Amino acid sequence: MANTEKNSYTVIFAVVMVLVVGSLLAFTASSLKPTITKNEKFEKQQNILYAMGVNENVEGEAIFVPTDSVQAIFNKYIKEQLIIQNGKITKDSSAYLIDLKGQLKKDMEDRELPLFIGEKDKKDYYIIPMYGKGLWDAIWGFIALDENYVVQGVYFDHKGETPGLGANIKQRYFMDDFTGEEIMNDTKFTGITVAKGNNDPLNERKDDGKVDALAGATITGNGVTAMINSTVKLYIPYLKDLKI
Amino acid sequence: MEHVELFFKSIFIDNMVFATFLGMCSYLAVSKKVSTAVGLGAAVIFVLAVTVPMNWLLDQYVLRPGALEWLGPEYADYDLSFLSFILFIATIATMVQLVEIVVEKFAPSLYTSLGIFLPLIAVNCAILGGSLFMQSRDIATFGLAFNYGISSGIGWFLAILAIAAIREKIRYSNVPAPLRGLGITFIITGLMAIGFMSFGGMLTGGNDTDEDATKKLTTPQGEVSVQDDADEPIAEVKTTNNK
Amino acid sequence: MAILSKKDQGLLMDPLADNNPITIQVLGICSALAITAQLKASIVMALSVMFVLAMGNVVISLMRNIIPSKIRIIVQLIVVAALVIIVDQVLKAFAYELSKALSVFIGLIITNCIIMGRFEAFALGNGPWRSFLDGIGNAAGYGLILIIVGFFRELLGSGTLLGFKVLGDPIQKTGLYALGYEDNGFMLLSPMALIVVGIIIWIQRSRNTKLIEEN
Repeated sequence: MANTEKNSYTVIFAVVMVLVVGSLLAFTASSLKPTITKNEKFEKQQNILYAMGVNENVEGEAIFVPTDSVQAIFNKYIKEQLIIQNGKITKDSSAYLIDLKGQLKKDMEDRELPLFIGEKDKKDYYIIPMYGKGLWDAIWGFIALDENYVVQGVYFDHKGETPGLGANIKQRYFMDDFTGEEIMNDTKFTGITVAKGNNDPLNERKDDGKVDALAGATITGNGVTAMINSTVKLYIPYLKDLKI
Repeated sequence: MEHVELFFKSIFIDNMVFATFLGMCSYLAVSKKVSTAVGLGAAVIFVLAVTVPMNWLLDQYVLRPGALEWLGPEYADYDLSFLSFILFIATIATMVQLVEIVVEKFAPSLYTSLGIFLPLIAVNCAILGGSLFMQSRDIATFGLAFNYGISSGIGWFLAILAIAAIREKIRYSNVPAPLRGLGITFIITGLMAIGFMSFGGMLTGGNDTDEDATKKLTTPQGEVSVQDDADEPIAEVKTTNNK
Repeated sequence: MAILSKKDQGLLMDPLADNNPITIQVLGICSALAITAQLKASIVMALSVMFVLAMGNVVISLMRNIIPSKIRIIVQLIVVAALVIIVDQVLKAFAYELSKALSVFIGLIITNCIIMGRFEAFALGNGPWRSFLDGIGNAAGYGLILIIVGFFRELLGSGTLLGFKVLGDPIQKTGLYALGYEDNGFMLLSPMALIVVGIIIWIQRSRNTKLIEEN
C-alpha cells in the first residue's frame, strides 16, 4: 500500500478522484438528458392542461392526465400557442418549452412571453405561465383566465418549499380557492392576494381577490401573491386586445 | 440601500439558525461555553464571507445555463447546474482546509483557539446553505454576495453567542435532571426561534408589503407600462386570426 | 438474528435508543426540524437517508485505506454528493413522479450532518459489512425520532395523519371539532419541532438515567 500521507499521493488521489467523479456525473447527466427533457416536457403540458381544468382530479387530490397520452390531449385542447415579444405576437407550436425564468431576466424588448389559448366545452381559456420565489427556492405555475379575467384554474409547483407548509401550495385545497377570483377591478389590475386573517376559509367570497393563506407558510404565500401579480400583469395589455 | 436592507434582513429576518434552522448540529453541540461559541461563530463568519462570493463567481461564470458564454458563443448552450452541489461543497471543503493551513502557519495563537473548529465547519450545513440560498435567491452582484455571506455569518454568530450565554447562566437554575444539557437547549432554542419570528413582521407585516414585493420582482427587468405602444402589433394578430 | 453476532446486533439496535443520532449524538437536527410538519415527509426522509447513509458508509469503508487523511473531508463530501446526484438523475429519467416528490429532500440529504458524522466516526475505521449495519442502524434511529415528531406535529397541527382526517373535519365540524376542538397551527412551525425533540429527550433520559448530563 502506498504511503497515504505523502503530498504527491494526495495530489494524485485528488486528481484521479475529480476525474472519476466528474466523468461519472457528466456521463449520467448526458446519457439521461433526453429522457429527463422528455419527462419535463410532458410535465409542462400536464401543468398547462391542469390549469385549464383538464385533469383527472379525484376527491381532494390533484391528478394530471396520464403521461402517455398527454401529447394528444394537449394538441386537442390547446388551440393556440403564442409568443409575445416586444409587442409582437407570433404563433409558435413549441412556445410551451420556453423557460419563463430566463425570459424574465432579459430586457423588456427581448423577452419572449409565452401565452396559451385553450378551448374546452366551447369556452376559451387564456393560460399564462408564472414564475417567482418562495421561501427557499423557485416557485412557478400556470393560471387560466376566461375573457372576463375571472380565474378558471391555477397550478402551482415549487422546487423546495417546506414539506407540510409551503409545499402545500400544490395541494388542491389551496389551488382550488383561486378559481372564481377576479384579477381585474373594472379596468384596474388588482391581482390576487394570498391573505392571512382573511377569515374566509371556505372561500365563500369568490370575487374579493383574496384567498386564504396557508398556516405557517407566510413567506411562500407572499411569494405566490407576488408571482401572480408580477407575471400576469405583463400580459394584461395583450389579453385586452386578444379578446374576441 | 440595497446593501443595508440585505444586511439586516440576513441577520435578523432570515437568521440562519432561527428562521431557516441551518447549522443546528454544531450550534447545539458547541454552545456549552461562550468562549468556544465565539471561536466557532467567528470561524463561520469568515468561511461564509469567503465561500459565498467564491461560489457566486462559480455560479455566474461556470454553472448556470449559458454561463459559459464568455468562452465563446458556441459554449452558450451548456448547462452545468447539476454540478452545483458538488462544486459548492468542493469550494467549501477546499477553503476550510486552506484556511486551516494558512492560519496554522501565520497565526499560531489564533489557530490554537480556532483550530479544532475549522474541520467542523466543513460539515456545517449553514455554510452550504449560504451558497445554495445565494444561488436560488439570485443575488445580483459580487458585492451583494459578499455582503450576504458576512451578514448571514453574523446572524449565526449572534445566535450561538446568545445560546451559549444562556447555557452558562442556566447552570445555576434548577432544571429537571433529565432535561439538563441537550434537552433544555432544544427547548430554549425553540423559544428563541419563536421570539425571532417577530422579526419576520418587518418583512411580511403591513399592507403595502405585497406591492413592494411586486416592485422588487419587476423593476430590475424594466417598467411594465408598455400598454400604449401595444395597439399596433395586436392588430396584426387579429389579422392572422382572421386568415 | 442468528446471522448477526452480538456486536453486529448492537450496531443495529444501539442507535435506536441509547446512542440515538438525534437525541444523543446531536446529528442531523436541521432536517429533523425542516420536514417533520407532515408524517409522510418524515417517513420519506427517513427512508432516503437510510439508503444514502448505508450506501455511502459502504463506499467510504471500501475506500478507507486509500483516502489521504489531509483531504478526507472533501473526499467524503464528494462521494455523498455524487451518490445523491446520480440517484436523483436516474429517478428523474425513469421515475419522474417519484423524483418530483423527493426533489425537496436532495439538498437536505447532502447537507445532513448525520451522513458526514457517521462517515467520520465509523466508516473510516471499519469494514464494509459493519459500516453497512451502522448506516442502517443510525438511519433507523434518526428515522424513529423523525416519525415520532412528525406524528405529533401532523396530528396536533393539522388534525390529520398521512393526510387522513383522523380527528374529523374542521370545516364541517365533525368528530372532535364538533366538541369545539381546534387545531394548533403553532405545531406546524419549526420551533415546535425543537420543543417536541426536547420533550423526547426529557422522556428518554428519565427512563434511562445513565444518559443524564452533568449540567
